Amino acid sequence: MTDLLVLLGNAIKIVGWIFSPILLLPLILLLPVRRLTAITQFCVKWIESTSKFTLAAACTCAIIMVLAQLFVVFGRYVFGWSATWLNEIVIYTYAAMFLLAAAHTLYSNRHVRVDIFRDRMSPLVKNTIELSGFYFFIIPICILLLWSSVSRSFVASWINFEGSRESDGLPIYFVFRTLVPVFATLLLAQGLANAIKTSHKIKSLILKDYQESQYGS
Amino acid sequence: MEAETILALTMFAVTIAALLSGYPVALTLGGVALVFAGIGLITGHFYLSDLRNFPLRIEGVMSNSVLIAVPLFIIMGVILERSKVAEDMLNVAGKLLGKIRGGLALAIVLVGALLAASTGIVGASVVTMTLIALPTMLKTGYSPKLSSGTIAASGTLGQIIPPSIVLILLADAISNASSRASTTLGVLPQAVSVQDLFTGALIPGFILVGCYLAWIAYNAIFKPEICPPTSDTESPLPRTREIVFGLFAPLILIVAVLGSILMGIAPPTEAAAIGVAGAMFLAGLRLANEAGTSRWVPVIMTGLVSVVALLFLANTFDLRLGRDQISFLDYLIITVTAVVTLLILAGLVASAHVFHKSEHFNPAITSAAHITSMVFVILIGASLFSLVFTSYYGDELVASALAAIPGGKWGALAATMLVMFLLGFFLDFIEIIFIVVPLVAPPLIVAGFDPVWLGILMALNLQTSFLTPPFGFALFYLRGAISEGIETKDIWLGAIPFIVLQLSVIALVASVPSLATWLPSVTR
Repeated sequence: MTDLLVLLGNAIKIVGWIFSPILLLPLILLLPVRRLTAITQFCVKWIESTSKFTLAAACTCAIIMVLAQLFVVFGRYVFGWSATWLNEIVIYTYAAMFLLAAAHTLYSNRHVRVDIFRDRMSPLVKNTIELSGFYFFIIPICILLLWSSVSRSFVASWINFEGSRESDGLPIYFVFRTLVPVFATLLLAQGLANAIKTSHKIKSLILKDYQESQYGS
Repeated sequence: MEAETILALTMFAVTIAALLSGYPVALTLGGVALVFAGIGLITGHFYLSDLRNFPLRIEGVMSNSVLIAVPLFIIMGVILERSKVAEDMLNVAGKLLGKIRGGLALAIVLVGALLAASTGIVGASVVTMTLIALPTMLKTGYSPKLSSGTIAASGTLGQIIPPSIVLILLADAISNASSRASTTLGVLPQAVSVQDLFTGALIPGFILVGCYLAWIAYNAIFKPEICPPTSDTESPLPRTREIVFGLFAPLILIVAVLGSILMGIAPPTEAAAIGVAGAMFLAGLRLANEAGTSRWVPVIMTGLVSVVALLFLANTFDLRLGRDQISFLDYLIITVTAVVTLLILAGLVASAHVFHKSEHFNPAITSAAHITSMVFVILIGASLFSLVFTSYYGDELVASALAAIPGGKWGALAATMLVMFLLGFFLDFIEIIFIVVPLVAPPLIVAGFDPVWLGILMALNLQTSFLTPPFGFALFYLRGAISEGIETKDIWLGAIPFIVLQLSVIALVASVPSLATWLPSVTR
């Protein structure tokens, strides 16, 4: 069982490395190349449906969180009863809610921005900032999270199927810890999808400018 | 100057510049931090091992049981907003008070203070009140200045009046700062709980509301032409049913939630869960007729009656399950109680069903998930920022800068407040709490200021910042919500009297600290 898990973990790692060049796709798109539309559209569509799916999971977690917290309240104040597993459901769903929704929040542009100067920028400048943000900010953050969260103690949690420290807790502490790398992967993927779309926009803006300068107006 | 100092200073400057570029704040904070960590790695001033433990910090946020109250209050606010319960409150209060001069403005302040409680996000309440009340005010002859000033100022009340979300986050930051300060001082840490900050904010918040009301009353008496009655004396008062469901039911909910936190009956998380359930009941009743699901009303009403029954049962009988001996009668009562609990849950499910049928459920929960995620990803980004900034001794730099300011601890406090006020022009409350408070609060607490009082002053200060032209957030939201009929100049001029009121309240709380610290010391 242990060997199988380690094998699986390494397989995911290798798949990750194989797919990592795809992160350069937005830059490649800026070059004068054709015939990439099919691949890029497939990527964007697939990533966005994943983000939507994880948003649905996050919303489900939110509902479970509210219900579980209500049960905690009923149990404690009415029946004088409490259980660690119920409190842990609240904590786990709360964490899953904001970590799983992060990618879709990025997709629907709900991460808060400082927009005093942004409103006055030209579309080209705005999109260039978006694309640079992907390479300078999103990629480093997500790689840091992946590198640091999949640590030796993380592997140990999985191998031992580490559960709660309390005897009446949930036996899924290892799943809880996995939320961090999952969050990083989802954010990276949604960042990539956004960057691909931004790249397309930059290219068409440049082309438009070029054509206007060629034919006057 | 040492290399670390230069790195810390440039890091701060680059962060501000990068934030102004308009890229999402959370990612900018974390990203700039990592870029500077990379520079430090190359020049040998930063060690990779410092970053290795970063996931532990995230796991700390993920299992912080106090912060669970944040998504719960967000869900409660979103439900009240989407189900139009909040809108009804303003409408009913406006009708009730509309017969007197300045009545609608008074209603806005009162409802703003109450809604505050539920939304706590500046944008939401300003936009709602602008859309509902501003057109009526302008039509009936209110001066544009007074009406826009009232709306913008009331919208920011949500930050200072508990149970505001920002106070919960601030309590977390101040509590960490306080425990670090006590390490420096070598004394036992003074714990700062959410309850402390809520109770501390209560008196200053009420004084603020009182000042707003007094200013409007002054206008109504001496300049009756700028705030006429909005409904004439013949028009009928709202029906009792409207008043009960539109105004009193939300009021009871908010008082119950807030009361149970302030009296120390329930921790914020549990009170917030009750708040969500209550909001769902109100939403179910409000929407049942519109959505064509009125047959569920009896179930919802049974659920509400069961709540009363449950309160009676739980306070009258000993229902604890863990006892050694439970008599037959007790078993019977416990069974009855269990049935009553199930009826409440049935009412809740019916309300949720109505909410779903009226097609508000999915947007509401999605919006709550987005807002929660936005807040907590900023928290993650900001903790990455402070990790790198601290490793370049940025925190010590801030502390020594504060110590160098002339005027002793009061000079340092004044400088901090000024900086936060200016940062409030382009950063949201959440970012300032996560970035600035951890840097400035520990040295100020070491200097001898009370943490709760400091937190309340910061909250009041930022609230004023959001109201101050030309960059105040509340003014932007107001401007954004109404496109014509009012000039930007009027919005700015209208805000000025309220800013003066704010500054006086800040000065009052600063000079009489017991306004903020007395109530927490009594209830603790």
